Amino acid sequence: MLLTVTSTLLDGFGTTLRLFFLTLLFALPLGLVVSFGSMSKFSPLRYCTQTFVWIIRGSPLLLQILIVFYGPGLLFHLPLLPRFTAALLSFVINYACYFSEIYRGGIQSVPRGQYEAGQVLGMTPGQIFFRITLLQVIKRIIPPMGNEFITLVKDTALVRVIGVYEIIWRGESFTKKGFIWPLFYTGLFYLVFNGGLTILFRKIEAKLDYFK
Amino acid sequence: MKKKLLALLLVCGLVLALAACGGAPAETGGNDSASGNAETQTPDDTAAGNEEPTPPDDTANLSDASGEAGDTAYVQNKGTLVVGITDFAPMDYRSDAGEWIGFDADMAKAFAESLGVQVEFIEINWDNKLMELDTKAIDMVWNGMTITDEVKAGAAVPDPYCRNGQVVVVPAAMADAYASVESLKDLSFAVENGSAAAEQLDILGISYTALDTQARALMEVASGASDACVIDLLMAGAMIGEGTSYPDLTYTFQLNNEEYGVAFRKGSDLVDAFNTFWAEASADGRVMETATMYGLQESVIVK
Repeated sequence: MLLTVTSTLLDGFGTTLRLFFLTLLFALPLGLVVSFGSMSKFSPLRYCTQTFVWIIRGSPLLLQILIVFYGPGLLFHLPLLPRFTAALLSFVINYACYFSEIYRGGIQSVPRGQYEAGQVLGMTPGQIFFRITLLQVIKRIIPPMGNEFITLVKDTALVRVIGVYEIIWRGESFTKKGFIWPLFYTGLFYLVFNGGLTILFRKIEAKLDYFK
Repeated sequence: MKKKLLALLLVCGLVLALAACGGAPAETGGNDSASGNAETQTPDDTAAGNEEPTPPDDTANLSDASGEAGDTAYVQNKGTLVVGITDFAPMDYRSDAGEWIGFDADMAKAFAESLGVQVEFIEINWDNKLMELDTKAIDMVWNGMTITDEVKAGAAVPDPYCRNGQVVVVPAAMADAYASVESLKDLSFAVENGSAAAEQLDILGISYTALDTQARALMEVASGASDACVIDLLMAGAMIGEGTSYPDLTYTFQLNNEEYGVAFRKGSDLVDAFNTFWAEASADGRVMETATMYGLQESVIVK
């Protein structure tokens, strides 16, 4: 029994992890683009981006998942996206917005004097960003990013609302057969994975500790 | 600068898309039934599918066609009947080999065969079953579904195929003390949200905690969070007692009689195809044979 349950749950956790890694793959760069939008000197772009970030951060992810999956069919009678794709899309949009605010905080915390020093040395804005700002930004955003990563692992549980079979779904399917413990056993998988993430982030922080 | 413009376009596009999504859900109810009814097909036309199954055609599986032609034609064009289910023994559950079996699953395979198409089972979130139908994420629901007014209002329901009822589940030690309807008022109840059980308790004027599955309602009783729960008879038979996580629970009495049905999209002509199929399968003994295999011979409705 334990073996069957474990292998079923591992199968579900595979889906959880696929969603986790693919979300990071797309949301991390997209978040940077969004953060540039919300810091732009061109005010229509800035307001547009800030409104978008407000909508995404201000409404429940659960609703966003439902809208992305059922919305096209309900509103326009269009064929739907595959379930996993719809789940991924809503996660990428949602997390890109959260990441963008973290990036923004990181970028704006780099002292103004460093940009000016770069300009004095004749560097282009691109060179200043990639050679001076970026590394310091990365160092500063590691702790809040760690938070978001761990939250993301647990948020994946929401996608079962549109029938993506992640680990909690698998655990719950046992409750319909009269077994409760597999549902709570799923917690162990999250704990172990998040434990790994915590250690990883601590290591990265230590590595970046060579400058203040 | 180009990058910024591109970002602006992307972001504005997303905002617009989202704003459009936010505003409109209220309008959807009306057109669905209209588009489904656009062409009424006679039952004879749909039965023709039996003699001449349309070969599966992958190029034509987008939803455009279904607006004008009937739902049967839509399903036959794409070559698969997508059935929305949940893991719910003995109606739909996985065999040891991982294949979907059960009374509903086996009959769904036979129904798809009569339409000349493949069957595909998708486990859905039960709360969203009507939305799944409307958006064509699935073509039908066949999962021991109690026919309620809510289902009849939101979907097309053919004749019922099975009988069932709601039963009260309590810890075995309490069973004797709560054997009448009057005594139930003292208990705290858990039920599945929006289920037939919830409807029964509403009629009796008993308040309850609503959870997302019947299994969760049972968990409430087992953990002591609620005194009792109401679930359906077939499920109670399969889920509580020896060898489960609920050896100490038992069910006392039945609150009502009800019927199981399948559901199609509003206005779907598959309703007629289903009634024809069920009559044929009853006549040649397949219904009773399958029912006996899953212990439902007392409950199934043979035409």
